[in-house]
Amino acid sequence: MLQYIGRRVLQFIPVFLGVTLMLFILTRVIPGDPVAMLSGQRAQSPQILAQMRHAYGLDLPLPQQYLRYLSDIAHGNFGQSIATGRPVREIFAEKYPYTLELAFAAILVEIIVGISAGVISAVKQYSFWDVTVTLSTSLLVSLPVFWLGMLLQMFFGIWLKNWTNGQLYLPMSGAGGAGAPFPSYVYLILPAITLASVSTAYAARIMRSQLLEVNGSDYIRTARAKGLSEGAVLRRHAIKNALIPVVTFIALDLGAMMSGAILTETVFNWPGIGYAIYTAINKRDWPVVIGATIIVTLVYMIINLIVDISYAFLDPRIRYGGSEGRQ
Amino acid sequence: MPIDDKTLVESAREDDSAPIGHHLETGGTPLDQVAAESGEGSRTLWSDALRRLLRNKLAVIAMAYLVLVTLLAITAPLWTKQLFGDPMYADTTKIMQTRFLPPSLAHPMGTDDLGLDTFARVVYGARISLMVGLLATAISVIIGIVLGAVSGFYGGITDSVVMRLTDVFLAFPYILLAILLISLMGMGLGPVLVAIGILGWTTIARVFRSSILSVKQNDYVEAARAMGASDLRIMVRHILPNALAPIIVYATMSIGGVILTEAALSFLGLGVQPPTPSWGGMLNEAQSYVVTQPALFIWPGIAIIMTVLAFVLLGDGLRDALDVKVSE
Amino acid sequence: MADDKLLVVDNLTMYFHTRDGVVKAVDGVSYELNSGETLGVVGESGSGKSVTALTIMRLIPMPPGRVEGGDVLFRGESLLKMSDNEIRKIRGNRIAMVFQDPMTSLNPVYRIGRQIAEPLILHKGMSKRDAWARAVELLDLVGIPHPESRVKDYPHQFSGGMRQRVMIAMALANDPDILIADEPTTALDVTIQAQILELMEELQKRIGSAIILITHDLGVVADMADNVLVMYAGRPVEYGSVDQLFYRPLHPYTWGLMDSLPEYDVDEKSKLCPIKGQPPSLINVPSGCSFHPRCPFAQPVCSTDVPEYRIIEGGHGAACHFAGDPGFTRAEASPVPVPAAEEVAW
Repeated sequence: MLQYIGRRVLQFIPVFLGVTLMLFILTRVIPGDPVAMLSGQRAQSPQILAQMRHAYGLDLPLPQQYLRYLSDIAHGNFGQSIATGRPVREIFAEKYPYTLELAFAAILVEIIVGISAGVISAVKQYSFWDVTVTLSTSLLVSLPVFWLGMLLQMFFGIWLKNWTNGQLYLPMSGAGGAGAPFPSYVYLILPAITLASVSTAYAARIMRSQLLEVNGSDYIRTARAKGLSEGAVLRRHAIKNALIPVVTFIALDLGAMMSGAILTETVFNWPGIGYAIYTAINKRDWPVVIGATIIVTLVYMIINLIVDISYAFLDPRIRYGGSEGRQ
Repeated sequence: MPIDDKTLVESAREDDSAPIGHHLETGGTPLDQVAAESGEGSRTLWSDALRRLLRNKLAVIAMAYLVLVTLLAITAPLWTKQLFGDPMYADTTKIMQTRFLPPSLAHPMGTDDLGLDTFARVVYGARISLMVGLLATAISVIIGIVLGAVSGFYGGITDSVVMRLTDVFLAFPYILLAILLISLMGMGLGPVLVAIGILGWTTIARVFRSSILSVKQNDYVEAARAMGASDLRIMVRHILPNALAPIIVYATMSIGGVILTEAALSFLGLGVQPPTPSWGGMLNEAQSYVVTQPALFIWPGIAIIMTVLAFVLLGDGLRDALDVKVSE
Repeated sequence: MADDKLLVVDNLTMYFHTRDGVVKAVDGVSYELNSGETLGVVGESGSGKSVTALTIMRLIPMPPGRVEGGDVLFRGESLLKMSDNEIRKIRGNRIAMVFQDPMTSLNPVYRIGRQIAEPLILHKGMSKRDAWARAVELLDLVGIPHPESRVKDYPHQFSGGMRQRVMIAMALANDPDILIADEPTTALDVTIQAQILELMEELQKRIGSAIILITHDLGVVADMADNVLVMYAGRPVEYGSVDQLFYRPLHPYTWGLMDSLPEYDVDEKSKLCPIKGQPPSLINVPSGCSFHPRCPFAQPVCSTDVPEYRIIEGGHGAACHFAGDPGFTRAEASPVPVPAAEEVAW
């Protein structure tokens, strides 16, 4: 197993370097004058521009710039917002917990709904339920996530309010906080469902197809031959095997969600890092856009690595490497 | 061609009344060999697939829909203005009378907050979406095939480098990288096209590469070589038809994804800029009116869903028709 | 004791109803099994030998399969008519099965100990601790070295032969009355094959189970079986004691199987003679005798009339129109010459 982990970590390093190099090229090398972008394109005197260039190390040869870039990242220096002057790192620390909250809530929905739907769908193949799940999942993956968000806002924010004469409705915007009409977690409901929707559809499909595949395996036949009831065969033998790829998918999804669900956050004005990037784009606050993207990409890469490694724990075939020759 | 060899042998096998002493293991009757050598195979492969595709009702409906939408989109400048008014520039004097009209004969989908006809705007949005969908996918496919071919055919270090490159590209969260690229290039249609195009090559490269790898090992390539076929002939006659099928399937299905991405980027304000209508942009504008005028966001949404679904169904149909096993 | 034979399969018929047609997988199979006996069931792939066993255990999904007739009696009780609960009490308990491919027949994510303990806990109500202890004993019984530590290993940590031993241990956990072994050695190396068969023989003597040994290899059967059933295209074609079958085989298909066995003591000039042609599709079974397209002795009647299974000498019978006829033996019968014209049919 250590071999496996070691190999994965080793593979991570060139990818990490490649990613940072690509980011470096994109943000420092390609733009004609990075300072113009970083200073906000307001007219600056040449001296100030020259000062900035020096401060950013732009007068250094490229390889050195790259090294400095890497050291900046290592020190957590991701630039400064043009609009507010605050370090990107600070903005990130402030907004990221909201994104995490949303991500975990969505993953919870995905796990519960996705896995159950997939299992039921596979067990009762071709039944009404199976057909419904298959059709709705096909539909969901064709949906723009942000449109679904608006749809839910319409239903649960407005129509529900109208039908219940203003008694019952869900908040559509923001994250609550002090003085808000609802406790904070209520604000989480609609955004979490929206964010989870498409992923849940995928998770259900994968669960279903994995379970169907596993059901045809020889060891399932062996389990039946031992006298186990269908329920026991399903619970103890089939699901555990079928679950492995599904868990991997969901974990990777968590990584994607933790990368800032920019679309969902925008629709619901959810104050996470995605929304921050969106407002920064509108304000042309490039350092925030670039800096936040860098951080989030690093988070995404690390999570993928963790998922990769944890695969070793899930699958005993990897955990205890096969010793085929053992007689 | 290989597939037809197998089918012929298979059907011969099922014939119980084969004369005694007829060994079927050695490649079937002389008829099979004749068919293989005449190269009739490649033509029958594609027409066979087409027939199977046409039998798939969902795929046919999807294709019909797409043809219709494409026609409407291409011809739009000819008729929209005359029938529904200018989709881009509003007559500000008449706004109060023309905004938010419900669906009618004059305005099948009603009008928006500026009094512009929604249907016309949706059709114009289709122009953008379809163009980005097809062109960006084309870019991805070209890059993907080139890199995949180089990687698969030459192997060794080239292969490793290309594979590392795909790892690097896949290490980024997709949307954020697109946003980053567009922020650097400036907003608009071109940057969107380029950004989506150069991000989508990874899967295609991998698929093409693995097709090449598996086909390289197949016996019929060896057989062709033994018959004296040149490398190029092998590549074109034997490898390409088989390697191409999964690409076609994947590309078709991914057009749907591209359309969704373009819509997302336009929604965020990074795509085509107003007043040019795009589906994502329309959804952005509709945000302020979710409460009061839901029709504004429903119509473009439905357009997106139907178009994406059509490509997905078409891709599904192609996959069955071409008998491709592409993992989800 | 009395008249209750251990297992009686009586004219069992089971078809699969599929979109492409009705697959006549098991078509009128009958045999008997007594305690401690070994029955060898021989046939090519697609002869229905495995499917018959799975039908007995009710492991065939019942759509698309359907029992069209006949019955299976275990100690006088009908296995086919039992409720689901009752048959489950028999599986892995009184009748156990070992499958062909040990690599895929064991669950990769559970330890061996747990998998062997499972039937013990299920049927004998043992505690987990006792079951695992018994699992160690069983591993020792089947000849796995260091069973105390191996019991905690996963299937992929065993070699093919070892895995099959584990499967046997798992099957014998509850001292079953019948052990059904479906091609237990086919997926293994030749050298390991002999070991596994020896193991099974030994265990049979110790535990006293009856064995149904399903295989395509006559050689395996010659060694171990008391009685042999030869199957073709879902139908029984010959049945008898192992001596009767090997010394006085009645059916041309059996002769064909024997001819295709490589022999040690013949000169190099003689060739291996496989049976010509391929096994028939079970959806379009040939008319009359299902073997007639491949039978060197086929006569016109063979393509029109289905041969009934007839007893020729005490307990030994075959389904062939000419079985038992004077001169129709393996040594003496002469093949019907094939007219030259037919061979150039295309």
